[in-house]
Amino acid sequence: MKKITLAFLLLATACELPPRQAQTNAALRTAEATAAEGRTDEEYVMITTAVTMPMYVNHDQATFRRWGQARGVRVSILGPAEWDVPAQINTIEEVIGTRPAGLLINGTDPAIAPVINKAVAAGIPTVVYDSDIPNSNRHAFLGTDWYEIGKMQGEEMARLINGKGKVAYMGILGLTNMEDGFRGLLDVFKKYPRIEVVGKYDDKANVEEAARITSDLLAAHPDLAGLCGFDSNSGPGMALAVREAGKAGKVKITTVDWEPEHLQLVRDGVIQMLAGQKRELFTWYGAQFLYDMVHQTNKLSANDAKAGLTNVPYEINTGLIRITKDNVNEFLIRK
Amino acid sequence: MAKLLQDRVYTLALTIVLVGIGAAVIFPQTFPTFGNMSQVVLNLSIDSIVAVGMMLLLVTGVFDLSVGSVVAFSGGLAAYLMFFLNWPVPLAILSALGASTLIGAVNGYLIAYQGINPMIQTLAMMGIVRGGALMVSGSGIQNLPYWFGAIGQSRLLGVQMPVWYMLLVVAVFSFLMDKSVFFRRYYYIGGNERAADLSGIRVKRMKMYGFMLTSTLAGIAGILLASRLGAALSTSGRGLELRVITAAILGGASLTGGQGRIIGALLGAVFMGLVSNIMILARVSGYWQEIILGLILITAVWTDLLVQRRSSIKRSNHGGSKNMEQGTKKVTSV
Repeated sequence: MKKITLAFLLLATACELPPRQAQTNAALRTAEATAAEGRTDEEYVMITTAVTMPMYVNHDQATFRRWGQARGVRVSILGPAEWDVPAQINTIEEVIGTRPAGLLINGTDPAIAPVINKAVAAGIPTVVYDSDIPNSNRHAFLGTDWYEIGKMQGEEMARLINGKGKVAYMGILGLTNMEDGFRGLLDVFKKYPRIEVVGKYDDKANVEEAARITSDLLAAHPDLAGLCGFDSNSGPGMALAVREAGKAGKVKITTVDWEPEHLQLVRDGVIQMLAGQKRELFTWYGAQFLYDMVHQTNKLSANDAKAGLTNVPYEINTGLIRITKDNVNEFLIRK
Repeated sequence: MAKLLQDRVYTLALTIVLVGIGAAVIFPQTFPTFGNMSQVVLNLSIDSIVAVGMMLLLVTGVFDLSVGSVVAFSGGLAAYLMFFLNWPVPLAILSALGASTLIGAVNGYLIAYQGINPMIQTLAMMGIVRGGALMVSGSGIQNLPYWFGAIGQSRLLGVQMPVWYMLLVVAVFSFLMDKSVFFRRYYYIGGNERAADLSGIRVKRMKMYGFMLTSTLAGIAGILLASRLGAALSTSGRGLELRVITAAILGGASLTGGQGRIIGALLGAVFMGLVSNIMILARVSGYWQEIILGLILITAVWTDLLVQRRSSIKRSNHGGSKNMEQGTKKVTSV
């Protein structure tokens, strides 16, 4: 019994509890030290989830690669193929040990805050893009406010259906940014008592699923007035079902993103409005912020780290793009 | 030596060592460090705990596709009870584990007693439980109690606790599957279910227990994941079921049942974790990671088949010539 107690006590002494609070200015100091060393083999790493999602590939990753070529530095893109936040966290953890010059992290979920803090504490300049992780110590954020995306859709939908009728919305349930978007949408609808929300649906970012939900909705509510989408595949799926039901233009659709298929559907009059993000700006300027931190392009004091400041903007809202039939051709030509 | 090479556990262990040495040579600065190694083991600890349960089921000749959803649900339920209902940490954890066991019991009952196909039953349960996880976790629950976080974030001898829990689970189940009569019965069931039934083993009940154990282990993994992340996410555990089945098969399990060892499940998970880590160090894009893991799985199973086929040919040749010799002797003696 004594031996067991002794072994237990030894284990207890070897056990180290997590700190209740963390964070120092070590990050900034190490970032300065890195810059002072004058690195030659700079590598900037982008880490996201769903790394193969076309929207990420066409906008974020293409721009990040272009930026790397323009700057003459190495860029790498890592992360799980599926929407898997714990796997993104694992990837960040493993990349921190390889000490890249900078980390550009897609702010997929507030749960990634501790690992962002770990990167910052390790002295790696860390920029978050797309959705902010406000509870983290990230050096900068560039992106859009998803609540505003929801509001923009809500206001447009209310205008399209003259403030009355049945509306449903869909996206990936459980994602923080989309839930923010849903909140923005519903906050607008509260101002219109004659708008009836008939459902919130999980289309699992899948075109077929979005189409199936929409056709079921159209069967259950033949007088459905409008549909709002919150992920890249919501729009094409809703449009497919509405078109097949012969209700294109009658059932109003607003959604997010502006891939070629979305733009075509706007031109065809199936989708009435797209709330687009300026994703190219997230990654171009996000990467540039990292570069500027490493190279101290804009030194603000004799020693920025000691002064406790970061020499890049803390937060940038890149704003939204409103695409309707009136301006869709400009975007189609660009694509 | 040839006999050892026919054992997947040994070949996999050897492969892990060789791959590890290769990675250490290619990435001497980043791979063979304590920080990287402990991170790799930490990252595979959650999958390994679930893989232990999956190995038990695969030995029986069945599998469970709902484990990934149970991981999300158990963490979410514990977080919901603690955060919204202010339940004490131990009570919330026990309730979440109880709910996980119950999910396993439903799966087990419907599969073993009602004859529903395991794939259909657990696929349906995967959707139901994922929906439950979405309901309890919503867009994620953060700011969980300090002592809940301490379960997965504390360190012992510099290594984070989930790794120790994983080793404990592997050690306990390895011992049980090797030494306990009760657990040995799973091999008999997987080898020949009808014969096991005729020999008096309560096959249906054993199967139900198998699903309950696996689901409980997935529940434990979910609690550990939520504790480690400091948050419960409804998207946790997506794709986990296929990863753990892959790990178990790499570790020597067969979809037809009757074979596999718990240590094999751990080694399978270690191998996958190692490959994933090397791909990150080599900056291989996410596009390739799944392709490479898929190719590794096919190669492992194919190599195994070839080795087994060759050894069975050898055996039959050996046995054949022996029989012939015996036959000749008989004839001569006559």
